[in-house]
Amino acid sequence: MSDKERNTHNIDKVQLVYARVLEMVSHVGIAFLAAGYIVYVLQLLPVSVPIDAIAGNWHLKASEMQQKLHTPAGWSILSSPAALLQGDVVSYLSIYYLAMATVVCLAFASVIFYREKNYLYTTIALLQVVVLLVAASGLIH
Amino acid sequence: MSSATRKILVSCAATSGALAFLFIGTNIVYAIPPHVAEQTAWWVWMILLFVFSFILGIFSVLAGVGGGVLFVPIVSGFFPFHLDFIRGAGLLVALSGALSAGAPLMRKGLADLKLGLPMALVGSISSIAGALAGLAMPANVVQLLLGLAIMGIAALMMKARAYGTPDLKEPDALSKMLQISGIYYEESTKSDVSWQIHRTPLGLFLFMIIGFIGGMFGMGAGWANVPVFNMLMGVPLKVAVATSGLVLSINGAAAAWVYIFKGAVVPLIAVPAIGGIMLGSKIGAKLLTKVNTRSVRMIVIIMLVVAGLRSLLKGFGI
Repeated sequence: MSDKERNTHNIDKVQLVYARVLEMVSHVGIAFLAAGYIVYVLQLLPVSVPIDAIAGNWHLKASEMQQKLHTPAGWSILSSPAALLQGDVVSYLSIYYLAMATVVCLAFASVIFYREKNYLYTTIALLQVVVLLVAASGLIH
Repeated sequence: MSSATRKILVSCAATSGALAFLFIGTNIVYAIPPHVAEQTAWWVWMILLFVFSFILGIFSVLAGVGGGVLFVPIVSGFFPFHLDFIRGAGLLVALSGALSAGAPLMRKGLADLKLGLPMALVGSISSIAGALAGLAMPANVVQLLLGLAIMGIAALMMKARAYGTPDLKEPDALSKMLQISGIYYEESTKSDVSWQIHRTPLGLFLFMIIGFIGGMFGMGAGWANVPVFNMLMGVPLKVAVATSGLVLSINGAAAAWVYIFKGAVVPLIAVPAIGGIMLGSKIGAKLLTKVNTRSVRMIVIIMLVVAGLRSLLKGFGI
């Protein structure tokens, strides 16, 4: 048995699935993050709030900056379909994608747990998905 | 040049680099008045943030701590951004580091889902509460509490003595019910290592507290997760470190959304920080065998103490 096979022969299927999904989403996330930032700072697309205005007010509290500049927060970045063609919105979306990555992994894990009839962990994984989705919905803030 | 001489030279270079970094950094804080910070072009701050995060990434790996714990106190001392944005970026730094390292550790059975998920569930709920509390408090109070927390972390790092594979006789009832146990392949001994845990209820309670603190200060929580897993619950050190990353990726994501909705995540600041720490961590991992990690750990403790003191002073308005 090779070292690689030895490393994985005791591992639950759900772990291997989680790892495969995590690898895929995190690679895409890092590429998205880099590409989004380049589009943003090089201003390859128009921006909703000028970079100089952000830089001139980044000493303020987040709430004060938001009040002053109307910077996007949460899903308000998608106020209209046209917003998707703004550099800062693309960069925001790359960050949101990263914050959602674990939800995708946990959703896959809960399906595997369910197929394995491990109802305890199906419940725990689904509860975790619910907690993250509630946080991502902006209901609590 | 012998390998021993090379190790000494590399560790001396790392030590002097860190001290220079600390010394220069401390002076920058006191030497740059606000109007000079305002006159500096935004892209200069972004490059500085990227380089700074890159160096932090190297040191965090060599010192065996997550990047998040160093990022928030040090960047809040040396950069003109409000603490809200630094905490938002800090959570994303911790989250992305854990995400990028997670897959190989899960495949090797080092990061364990059944161990991590119950802890992450309680931790993520409390990290949301911590983030809400942290953003509702005045900045000087958060700075003060951050200073105290950082000093506590430095003390914990000085005192903590990890156990490779703790000797555990009997798992507790809750861990049996949660089916928490595992086997991983230890490459150094070419053998399977099986493990189980105890004190699960206390562990869950502490993960709740850690989640709250992590969310409040925007820090990763590897500094606390690992000792709780390893020293309290009897998880082998390698499994503790790897599973801590899994817990962090979930708790960080939960708290990050609170910061996002409060407008405390600004891509202009967050992305260079994430990129710098991630690249630095990769370099740090390569240097790990060449550098005297004990010296680096001591330097990081000193950096934390200085950053903690700076935070306390800021909290008192000094």
